Order: sequence, then structure tokens, then C-alpha cells
Amino acid sequence: MEHGSFQDESQATFSLTDEDHTLANSLRYILNQDPRVTFCGYSIPHPSDARVNIRVQTTGDPARDVLKDSCQDLMLVCQHVRSTVDQAVMEFKSKQGVELMKIK
Amino acid sequence: MEGVSYQRFPKIKIRTVRDDFMKFELRETDASIANALRRVMIAEVPTIAIDLVEIEVNSSVLNDEFIAHRLGLIPLTSERAMAMRFSRDCDACDGDGQCEYCSVEFHLRAKCINDQTLDVTSKDLYSSDHTVVPVDFPDSSTGLDNADNRGIIIVKLRRGQELGLRAIARKGIGKDHAKWSPAATVTFMYEPEIYINEELMETLTLEEKKEFVESSPTKVFDINANTQQLTSILLLNAPTLYPVGSAEFHSVFLQIVDSNQICSVEIFLSELMACENSSFYNVQLSHFNANFVVHFAPFQVYVYDAEAYTYDDEVLKKAEAMGKPGLVEIHAKEDSFIFTVETTGAIKASQLFLNAIEVLKQKLDAVRLSADTVEADEQFGELGAHMRGG
Repeated sequence: MEHGSFQDESQATFSLTDEDHTLANSLRYILNQDPRVTFCGYSIPHPSDARVNIRVQTTGDPARDVLKDSCQDLMLVCQHVRSTVDQAVMEFKSKQGVELMKIK
Repeated sequence: MEGVSYQRFPKIKIRTVRDDFMKFELRETDASIANALRRVMIAEVPTIAIDLVEIEVNSSVLNDEFIAHRLGLIPLTSERAMAMRFSRDCDACDGDGQCEYCSVEFHLRAKCINDQTLDVTSKDLYSSDHTVVPVDFPDSSTGLDNADNRGIIIVKLRRGQELGLRAIARKGIGKDHAKWSPAATVTFMYEPEIYINEELMETLTLEEKKEFVESSPTKVFDINANTQQLTSILLLNAPTLYPVGSAEFHSVFLQIVDSNQICSVEIFLSELMACENSSFYNVQLSHFNANFVVHFAPFQVYVYDAEAYTYDDEVLKKAEAMGKPGLVEIHAKEDSFIFTVETTGAIKASQLFLNAIEVLKQKLDAVRLSADTVEADEQFGELGAHMRGG
């Protein structure tokens, strides 16, 4: 849920439930890479509450869109990591197979 | 305006892969992404574990809830877990969360009838689904008991004691209870870059080099007894140093410039005997009538295993104590990580990493879609009031 963007769409605080550092820290890193972002940070109001506040301030674009784009970017990174791992595991296993054949 | 993505896409190189263990390098990414993956692997990849136990008879020495607790901690093969539904979300069962789509049923019955102690193990748990069974640990390390792999011991029974129960296993995540965590340990470390200052290193004696190498609790450096480094040759009767550099070959060529004569001389290293301490040797070259002093610096210190470095600064403190700060320089590469993933056997190590990426993507999807809803401010009282300026 989004707060504080009624007057000015370019800055907002997003309060996410059932989230913790896992998602918030990586989203914060990706947000910082985006050139439209002037400020971005996250906080956890209380450790017993599973809630994260992410603050985003941009150079004019609606903060909501920038956040969504960053989620998309992070998903692309995950996709890339996944395909890289698949490829690397296949290569490793075929290399192992070749080595076993050489021993025999 | 479409945001331009300035993402660097990470690179992965796998070092070892076994069933329950994987070691790989993750490069060109930030610590927050590496940490997110680690956290998801430990706490949010779903597995299946026993969650509800109905005890029919128990005359063992352990009480009911003790045995139920132990049953929950037994790892079950959880390949099905990603596709399964959580019991609370299942609409096929009539609310008790025990239907075949969202749970797996186990039963166990054991009675000790003879005088020998009966070990009730995880192998005695019979599953209703042959893809979800207690993990079998092939005991390849000890050759003795390989035919006798008994599984995880749940309880031991004496003559006359009996145990009978029915257990339901459900899908869950490590965040709820550690029994659902598929990871034994997941760690990552920064890859170290180690530079040895060769010039300073030459000024050490062999004893000091040995002390330095041994000051590290893990074996990071080692002394190479084979390379002989020819560092300099000093022409005695004309005080000019002719630095030659390191040489591992059998002879050295020198150019000697003396009173307008330029002469090339070949000195065979085999004619000079190297010994332990860096010493000076006299070489008489009669046809040129010159004395040479040859300085060898044998026994070079080199980096044996950079990754054994645990970022304790013992070697740096030792270098300072010896009066040679800056002898080695060690930096952690900020975007290069070495991951070690070890699982309990519930999921294969490579599968665990892939599932973790899937789960992270699902979380991002949830955030993206929920960003569309703006909920009432009164739910978030203080934050809303603060934002409104109240």
C-alpha cells in the first residue's frame, strides 16, 4: 500500500506486509541503479511485525511506476541467474562425464 | 518514459555439484542480491515435513509430544513441494487439511518382542506417496555399516514396549518452523584478492618467511622451495648494480660496460651453488678480470589458497609485528561471492538454488501486483497520520 502520494506522485512510501530484509534490501539496491530515483531506502518499523516501508523519491515519474519497473528488473536478473545456473550445471555435468570416460 | 535498465546481469561458475552440496561463484552482483538468495534458500523454499501426529499407542520411554517433535524434524524428500498447495489454501479437502492434494500420510507401527533393544528409525515410517519418503542417507563414508544403514533413530523400545501412530505431512516454509528448512547451511564469502609485495618479501630471511606463512590460522600462503629468484648481480670493482630480475633458467646473460668496453657474459647458474639463506657468491671471470657478487633470493612465498583466507587479519598483524607493514595487501572483491550450499537431503542442492530463484520471483510478482491497490489509511494509523502531516 502506498502512502503520501496524493499531492505529489513522484514521492511515496510503500508499506508491504509479510515482507522482510530479503526482498526489501534487494529492491532497494535495484532502485538505486535506476537513474530516475533521487532517494530510496527501507525500514522495518518493528521486528515483531512483518512489515517493511520502502520510500521512493523520483525525478518526476510516478513512484509507483518506478517501483514496478524495479520489480521487473529484479525479475529479469533472477531469470538470467536461473538460466545461467541451468547452463552451468549442464556444462559441469558433461565435463564430469568426459573426465570419467577418460579415466576409464 | 520507460526506465532504462542499468542492471548488470550476474555471472555464475559452478565449482562442485553433488547431491547434497554445491559450491559456485556468483559475480557481478551486489551483496544485497546474494543475501536475498541466501535468506530465501534458508527460510522460504517450501518443503514437506510431518505436521500432525495422531498417537494410537505409545508405551516407550519418550512421551507423545517428544516423539511428535522428533518426527517433525525428519527430512522428507520434497520434490513435490513446489507444486503442492499449502493446506490452508486447499479447497479440495473439507477444512481439516488432510486430503491427498495438500498432504501426505505416514504410519508407523513397532513393537519390541525379543530381549534385544529395538531401534525405531525413519525407515519404519511408511508413506502413502512413494515420492515423499524419509531421506535415505547412503552411508558411503564408513565401509563397515554399509549394509546396515538404519536411518534416523526416533525412539528405542524395550521388550513389551509399543509405538503406533499416524502422521500427516504438509508443505511449509522455514520461516514458520525450522523443520521445513531444506538447507543445512548456506554461506557466501567475498572473494579475496591477495597481493604480495615482492620487494619487501625479498628482505625477509627464510626463517621470517616461514614464520609469516605459519602465522595464518588457515593455509593461505606457502613457500615454494623450487624457484630460485636471481635478484641482482653486483659488479664489485665498478659499483653499479645490474638488476637481472627473477630467473628460473640455467644461465644468465649480462652486459658489462666498463671503460668503454661492452661485453656480454654468460653465467651458468649451475656453477653457483644456492643455499638456504640468501647469500653472496663470488664469481671470478678471468678473461674480464671482474668480481661479481650474485644475490639469490630462494624460497619464494606464494599464495597457496586465496579462498582459505577467513578475513582474520592475522597475517597483516604478523607483518606489522615483524616491522614490515604492507608486506601483503588483501582486499575483498565487492561484487564477487563464493556460495556454499548444503542441504538436508530433502531437495537436491542445485534444485534448491533454482527453487529459491522461483520463490524470489513469486514474491516480486506479489509486490508488483499489489502495488495497484491503495488500501485505507486507517489500517496503518501512525504511518498514514505521519504522511498526512498529522
